[in-house]
Amino acid sequence: MKSALRYARPAAAAAIAVCYLLFTLAIARGTVYDQSLVTTAACFAILAISLDMVAGMTGLYSLGHAGLFACGAYATALLNSHLGIGVFALLPVAVVGTGLIGLVLGSLSLRVSGLYFAITTFIFTLVIAVLASDLKITGGLQGIEGPLFPSFPAGLAWLGDSVTWCVLLALLVTIFLVVSIRASALYPVLLAIRDAEPFAAAAGVRTAAVKIGMFGLSAALAGLAGWCFSFLGIVSPGQFSWNISVNILVMVILGGINTTIGPIIGAVFVSMFPAYVNFSPLWQELVYGALFVLVIVFFPAGFTGLVVRLARLAGSRLRLRLPSRASLAVPSAVDGLAPRVRAVARNTPAVECHHVSFAYTKGVKAVDDVTLIVPAGTIHGLIGPNGSGKSTLVSLIAGERRPDFGSVSINGADLSSAGPWARPGHGLARTFQTAVLVRELTNRANVAIGLYSRVPRIAVRAPVWPLLPRARRQARAMSARAGLALSQVGMDSWAGKRVVEVPHGVQQLTQLASATVSGSGVLVLDEPVAGLSPSEVDHVAAILREFRAAGGTVIVVEHQVQFVFGICDQVTVLSAGLVVASGPAAQVREDARVREVYLGQ
Amino acid sequence: MQILLTGLASGAIYGLVAMGFAVAFYVTSVINFAQGQLLMAAIMVAAGVSAAGLPTGLGIVAGLAVSTLLGGLIYVLAVRPVLAFDRFSFAWLVSTLGVATILEAGAALIWGPTSRSFPVMLNDQPVRLLGAIISLQQLLAIVIAVAVVVAVELFRRRTLFGKLGMAIAADPEMASAIGANTQIAAIAAFALAGLLAGIGGILVGPITYANPYLGETYGINGFVALMIGGIQRPAAAMVGGLVLGVLSQLANTEINSQASDWFPFLIVVVVLLVSPTGLLDAARWLRRRPA
Repeated sequence: MKSALRYARPAAAAAIAVCYLLFTLAIARGTVYDQSLVTTAACFAILAISLDMVAGMTGLYSLGHAGLFACGAYATALLNSHLGIGVFALLPVAVVGTGLIGLVLGSLSLRVSGLYFAITTFIFTLVIAVLASDLKITGGLQGIEGPLFPSFPAGLAWLGDSVTWCVLLALLVTIFLVVSIRASALYPVLLAIRDAEPFAAAAGVRTAAVKIGMFGLSAALAGLAGWCFSFLGIVSPGQFSWNISVNILVMVILGGINTTIGPIIGAVFVSMFPAYVNFSPLWQELVYGALFVLVIVFFPAGFTGLVVRLARLAGSRLRLRLPSRASLAVPSAVDGLAPRVRAVARNTPAVECHHVSFAYTKGVKAVDDVTLIVPAGTIHGLIGPNGSGKSTLVSLIAGERRPDFGSVSINGADLSSAGPWARPGHGLARTFQTAVLVRELTNRANVAIGLYSRVPRIAVRAPVWPLLPRARRQARAMSARAGLALSQVGMDSWAGKRVVEVPHGVQQLTQLASATVSGSGVLVLDEPVAGLSPSEVDHVAAILREFRAAGGTVIVVEHQVQFVFGICDQVTVLSAGLVVASGPAAQVREDARVREVYLGQ
Repeated sequence: MQILLTGLASGAIYGLVAMGFAVAFYVTSVINFAQGQLLMAAIMVAAGVSAAGLPTGLGIVAGLAVSTLLGGLIYVLAVRPVLAFDRFSFAWLVSTLGVATILEAGAALIWGPTSRSFPVMLNDQPVRLLGAIISLQQLLAIVIAVAVVVAVELFRRRTLFGKLGMAIAADPEMASAIGANTQIAAIAAFALAGLLAGIGGILVGPITYANPYLGETYGINGFVALMIGGIQRPAAAMVGGLVLGVLSQLANTEINSQASDWFPFLIVVVVLLVSPTGLLDAARWLRRRPA
């Protein structure tokens, strides 16, 4: 039974591929009219999928795809007609070349985020369109004739039209790539970059590099679409204007953003609509515009979103049950954490900050000459009034900000100028004040993101993930280990629930599990018990004590004084960026100045 | 001087469209891609009314009323449902583009796809100014644009409703928690954006005549103006428009007649490379440097 299930997925994939090839054969042997409709739609489907890879998965709304598309098409047409390079030799040229342009464009424009990324890429498209229409070599507004794609040799002539095969196979490859990425361990990481970038960075992801890489891959696919498109006839500037960029995004949103099938549906709908709805052109446009508005207003998640939402509605009625609080307090579940903590000899410093200073604006120091030494195997509390610099100090330790002066070392390695992604490799993991998690993923998938730094070359292998037996094994191991980490914080009953469905307390513990899952010896926790019920607070305290007993080190920022003095060995009190007191918990509690600045006595 | 004045006159129109973008964006974080089509709607209605033999003044009022109403309607029908589903979704891009298509095709259906005459207004009265000759209409465009900027800025900073807009822009949830009606404010912002586009339309109508496809040209130029000026403040958008107008005019006369196709975009690229949030921020940044 189990082995049957194991082969079910590949078998289904094979069946779909066979159907797809039969469809291709039917079209290739069909009428020229059908062929031109289908091949054009397929080119746009490749573009829509490539855009969805960056817009839907990674949150980068590119409007540069028409420009990238043009790069692929013009490169193929020009190099073929001027230098006589064969079309197959031009495939890698168009794909890699456009990919490289994408890498450059990406690294230039990713300095800015959100809307401005869209605008910079939009302008890229405008520039390409203007170059195409104003340069002599591109044939101006008339454009140039695309190269001739060789037909099948006589023996294979029964396959029909070769261009149809070429374009539809390119689409199949594109679909395979995107399905692979969705199945890979990179997919949750991409969603984390989109929704919770600090979380991804803290898990060891070089977020900027991954974003640029994804944009490069997406650009390469746009180049592939351009290569295919050049065989369909004339290549002219009008086909790559800015509104094509917008149209591709429309296809993605209309079909359903961040879905595999959505961009294809959107591309087919948008590109075939004029062919099938045949009345006077103005009325046709009117209906077209009205459809956009109606679809988006009534189904904001697009065609696919509608289906998914209906399915989920039906499913969740059956499954979703509200939590019973009792399940949270399972002290025995903390057992087994011990062997996972990377042991560092006790009493050697795990975290050292020497004379660290940091200012957000010149002159006002948020952290002022702070020295903090945390020995391994201890829990160190950081307290202080609001604005005293606790969170800033934490972000300096975790690498989100670099200190203006002073040094930060983790387990003996000086990481003052290294980013957050370098921390997991040195055994430091952190959580955030308000849980930043990917809301649409399950708790287990979120925790597995914490294992990113433990599995090599996830990003590079993602595009062919299902083909690599080792990668599939690793993905299963990651999932299992994430489940274990969740059960260690007593959350196993929640592992399969999506974050959006679970209460705040569970989210906090999921965050904790995503920090412990990688076996890091040092945890930095920013207000881990904020908003938790008293029994949940006790539960977290038990987990942290267990972690310490296993040799782990904890730095915890917290406002709940009882919790802090209850579990901490050492406590440091900050006020206005300065260390007011530091030492054993009992001693700090009695310090007169601490009582004054913090405890309000 | 001639270039400067002609450029300022056309830039004033871009600026009005850009201000419309900015006003709507700053309350709702939505870019209304039908903004250019609102300008077109005002022109078409005004032309339609005066073609029916009614006084020009009535046509102007009707044109402004229609673009204002349409602006508000776009928010209610095409933007609010999308934001209600997910405040951070970009799906409004599709719905506002859909509206743009509807308006364009609708106008072409009602009035025909070719250019129609527009009341001459003041376009036949040349004035000599600082050694250059421009029509009174162009001068009027510059004057009104400046007046509108002052009015919008005063409204934004001095009235409670304007400040409410700023509060909603900063944090919609907080603003509604203190009792602000974010829906009314958003509708008002879209309607005001429509009015601004309408004013632009009435001012430019005698020069361009009435054509259903004007919306795209002015929409895109207004958008570029917005990029130059920066998206945060309406007044900056107007400055962006004026800069764009003058530079396009300069490119047209000094380089060649097609240069205005690409020259503005070159400017935007440079602006974005220097300062991703617009030219005015770059200026402020430069000023802050020596200190």
